[in-house]
Amino acid sequence: MSIVEETRKALLQLFPEQAAAEAEAEAAADAEAAAGAEADTDATAEDTASTEEAGEAAGGEETAAEPAAPAKEEEPAEEGPRENGVLVTDHAARGTHLDVLCDPEQVVEAAGIMDEAGFFLEAITGVDWIKEDRMEVIYDYNQTGPDPCRVVVRTFIPRANPEIPTISEIHPGANWHERETHDFFGIKFQGHPYLEPLLLPEDADFHPLLKDFTP
Amino acid sequence: MTVPIQCRPDEVFVLNLGPQHPATHGVLRVKLTMDGEYIVKAEPVLGYIHRMHEKMAEAGSFAQFMPNTARMDYLHALAYNHGYVLAVERAAGIEVPERAEYIRVITVELNRLSSHLLWWAAFLLDLGGFTPLLYAFDDRERILDLLERITGSRLTYCYFRFGGVYNDIDDEFIAGTRDFIKRLRSRLPRMYHDLVTHNIILIKRLKDIGFITPEQCRKYGATGPVARGSGINYDVRKNEPYSVYPEFDFDVPVYTECDSMARYMVRMDEIEQSLRIIEQALDKLPDGPVKAKKVPKILKPAAGDYYAAVEAARGAFGCRLVCDGGKSAYRLKLRSPTFSNLSLFGEVAEGMLLADALAFMGSLDLVIPEIDR
Amino acid sequence: MGTEKVPSSIVHFAELDKLLNLCRANSLWPMTFGLACCAIEMMCTGGSRFDISRFGAEVFRPSPRQSDVMIVAGTITRKMEPGVKTLYDQMPEPKWVIAMGNCAISGGPFKFKGNYNVVEGADQFLPVDVYIPGCPPRPEALLEGIMTLEEKITGKRRWPRRQPGQVTG
Repeated sequence: MSIVEETRKALLQLFPEQAAAEAEAEAAADAEAAAGAEADTDATAEDTASTEEAGEAAGGEETAAEPAAPAKEEEPAEEGPRENGVLVTDHAARGTHLDVLCDPEQVVEAAGIMDEAGFFLEAITGVDWIKEDRMEVIYDYNQTGPDPCRVVVRTFIPRANPEIPTISEIHPGANWHERETHDFFGIKFQGHPYLEPLLLPEDADFHPLLKDFTP
Repeated sequence: MTVPIQCRPDEVFVLNLGPQHPATHGVLRVKLTMDGEYIVKAEPVLGYIHRMHEKMAEAGSFAQFMPNTARMDYLHALAYNHGYVLAVERAAGIEVPERAEYIRVITVELNRLSSHLLWWAAFLLDLGGFTPLLYAFDDRERILDLLERITGSRLTYCYFRFGGVYNDIDDEFIAGTRDFIKRLRSRLPRMYHDLVTHNIILIKRLKDIGFITPEQCRKYGATGPVARGSGINYDVRKNEPYSVYPEFDFDVPVYTECDSMARYMVRMDEIEQSLRIIEQALDKLPDGPVKAKKVPKILKPAAGDYYAAVEAARGAFGCRLVCDGGKSAYRLKLRSPTFSNLSLFGEVAEGMLLADALAFMGSLDLVIPEIDR
Repeated sequence: MGTEKVPSSIVHFAELDKLLNLCRANSLWPMTFGLACCAIEMMCTGGSRFDISRFGAEVFRPSPRQSDVMIVAGTITRKMEPGVKTLYDQMPEPKWVIAMGNCAISGGPFKFKGNYNVVEGADQFLPVDVYIPGCPPRPEALLEGIMTLEEKITGKRRWPRRQPGQVTG
C-alpha cells in the first residue's frame, strides 16, 4: 500500500460517514467480484482498484484513490459546498496528494493523526473569502519519506468570529505559523501559549491581509 | 550540549542580541535570558524586515510579482523565481520547453553555489576568520559575472518567465561555466577544505555544538541542510522531483552527527554535487526555444489552489497559490524554509554558551528578509 | 546633495579644519549595518574584487559609537525605524548617512497602494548626504557614493568625474 493510500486510510478516522460509505461500497464490490461470496463489511482492501472505483460510485464526492488519477471535484465555490472528507488530488495539477476538508474542531485530531503518521507541518495560512463571509485556514503537511505525499487540511470558520483551536501542542513548529496567521488575519487560535504579533510591530492592531484592510 | 542551569531567578538578566548585530546577518533580534554566559531562554523576535510580499502579490498581476520573489531570499533568488513560476505554471497549465528547463537548472545550481559560498564566508566571519571571505568572494564574483551575462543583474535576478526563461544562454556562458567548474574543483580541496574544514579551531567550535535531533527537525518542520545534517534524507529535488532534476545523477549528502559541523559538511558537499549537476546539464543541453509560445501577457488561472515546492539553498521553499479566476493571486502563501528552521532555535539554544549559540545560529544559514517576507 | 555644513568646534582653524576633513574623508568608517539585499552588495564591495579599502573605508565597525558613516543598505520597516534612529543618534559627530538602494531612497519596489509596513525613504527621519540608486546598486555605485561623500566633506574630488561615454586609456 502506498504512503498516499496509508495516510488516506488514517485520515478516514476523522470521517466515520465517509469510511462507512466506503466500507459498504467495498463490500458491495467484493460481493460483486466474488459473485456470491460472503459480503463482509470489515474486509480489507485487497483489490484496491475495484474498491476505489466502487467507492467513487457510492460516495459521489470521492474520486479514485490512486495518486495518478485526476481529481474530478475540487472547487467548493463552483460546484456547491464540498462535503467534509478526504479527497485524492492529482499531484501534477495541484501539487498535493490528499486534500482534507474538516470541521474547525477536527484540526487538532487531524494534526494528531498526521503527527502519528510521521508528517511535519510545512505551513499554516489563512484565506479571507470576504464574499462568502468566511475564512479558510489551510494546514500544509509533508513528510520526508522516499515517496512524496503532501496533505493539505482545510477548514472554514466564520469571518465575524474567527476562532480555531491551536495545534501548537502537537506540532511545536505551528506556534510561529499560528502567530503569523493571527497577525495577518486576526484568527484567534484558542489555547495558543503566546499569541502576540510576530511579524508586525508589537503594538499592531491591524490585520493587513484581510481583503477589506486599508492602511 | 545541555548544561544544568543552577541559578536563582533573580540572578538572570535579559540580553538583546540585535536587531543590529553583525552575527545575525541582518535584522534579527534574539531576546536572551542569560545566566552568566549560559542561555536560559532564547526568543527570536522577527518582523524587522517584514516587506509585505504576500500583500503585494494580491495587489499586482502575476508577472508583476516576479521581482519580489528575488528579493525574498536574495542569496538564492533563482530558486525563489523557480518556485513561483512553477506554482503559476501549474495553475495556468503552461508547458515549459526542454531547453528552458535545462537553463533553469543550470542557473539555479550556479546560484546555489554562490549562496553556499556566501554562507561559508559569512559563517566563518562570525567565527572570527576574515580571510575565507576573500577566497569565497573571489569565486563568488565569477559566478555573478556569469549570471549577470545572461540575466542582467548581479543579485536580485528576475530571469524566469512563465513558460521559460528571459534569455538564451550563449557559447561564452557555457565556456565560462566550464572554466569556473574546473577552477572551483581545483580550489575546493586545497583552499576550502585544507585551510578551513580541517582546521582544528573550526572543528573545536563546531563539533557537538547545536545538537538537533531528527525528531526536533520534524516537529518544527526543518528542511534543507539543517535536516540533512540531522540524518534526514530529504531533498525536494529527489523526493518530489520537479523540472528536469530526474535526468541528473547526483547525491544528497546526509550526515547523522546532528551538530553544526554536520550542517557545515552538508553544504560543502552540496557545492560538489551542484557542480556535478551543472556539468551534466551542460553536456545534455538540448536545442530549441527557451520560452513557451502563446503564453498570454495577462494570466487568469482557473479558480482553485495550487502548491509548488522547490529545494532552495536553505530548504524546501513552497508556494501556495490561491486563485479566484482573476488576474492576480487571491492569496499567495510563501512557505519559507528558514522560518521553520529558525523556530527550533529557542529550544536548541537553551543551556548553550552564548558564543556557541552564535556558531549554531550561523550554521542555520539565516536570511532574515526571507523569514519575515 | 544638500548644503549642510559639517559641525565643528566653536573656534575655527580654517587650515586645521581642512586637514581634519581630508583625514576624515580618507578614512570613513562605515557601520556594519545590513538591512536587506543591498547589504550583500555592500559585502561584495568589501570583498576581494572591489576592495573598498583602496578608499580607506574598509573598517566596518559593528558599533555605531565607532563609526563615521551609516550606510542604510536596505528597506526600513516601521518596526525597524526606531532602531535605525537610535543607531544614528549613537554615532559620534561628525557623521554622515548614505542611502544605498531604492528602498532607502523612497521605499523602492515596496511603495504600493497597500503599503502598511515600509518607511518610504531614509530621509523621512535621517539627514541623508548621498543617495545611491539601484536595486541593489552595484559595488561600483557604492564606491562612487563614497567618493561623492568625500567630495562633500573636503570640497574636492579625488579624481575627475568620468562623463558617460568617455573612453579612458
